[in-house]
Amino acid sequence: MRESHIMNIHYLTGLAAIVLVGIHIMFRLIMPFAQSLEYENIIANYQNLPYAIVLELILLTVAIHGFNGLRIILIEWRQGEHWEKGVTWTCVAAAIAIIAYGSRTIIMANMAGAA
Amino acid sequence: MQKENREGVKGWLNPTRYGLSRFAYWLQRLTGVGLLAYFIAHIIETSSLAEGKFAWEAMLDLTQTPGGHIILIIVIGMSAFHAANGVRLYITEGGRGVGRPGRPDYPYRPTSLGPRMRACIWVTVALAALAMIYGANVLFGE
Repeated sequence: MRESHIMNIHYLTGLAAIVLVGIHIMFRLIMPFAQSLEYENIIANYQNLPYAIVLELILLTVAIHGFNGLRIILIEWRQGEHWEKGVTWTCVAAAIAIIAYGSRTIIMANMAGAA
Repeated sequence: MQKENREGVKGWLNPTRYGLSRFAYWLQRLTGVGLLAYFIAHIIETSSLAEGKFAWEAMLDLTQTPGGHIILIIVIGMSAFHAANGVRLYITEGGRGVGRPGRPDYPYRPTSLGPRMRACIWVTVALAALAMIYGANVLFGE
């Protein structure tokens, strides 16, 4: 993939993350903060399907934006074919791992009340 | 470039001799790395939800402390700066607000960093400070 395409993805995921994280924060502020963190409230949030989709989208956009940002920093810091390939594949693997782990939480919390 | 002139991370982290745009560049990267670290920690923190109510409450006992709140306030400031400065960077990447190219004359002030762009950088810093004050009020005001 061309670096200019990757930068466009970086910008789009950044803008999307601003909107989505804004929604996520508003869900914590519609009631007193400590109350919003109670287990029952959090599980109710996860069982709200549109909100669960927002959480999954935050996971995807922030993971892609964050690990691509880290890749850019590491490639700016040091160059070389092996280094660049190693950094790129490590960042891709780390992003996939964190998306998988976060998705597992969203799915399990979503099903928690159904059990 | 001679090897002894390479400063590595130390040079990258040194904002003192580069002016305001370099300071913003450095802070954008620093806040980006900080936010990625928080994101990973937050994914691990919320994974305790899958273990049930007691695991979640044990995690809250660990994170909802004065120290945890201070970390969260710093994260709020980092998020506000990174987002606002990121939007500024989108705008400059489109060629807006960066001035016209000109002959470099002494004292070599970059045309890309005019008064409006300088003001934008300070506005991003002010926004981050305001967000931190609001966050502190929510977290410690209850």
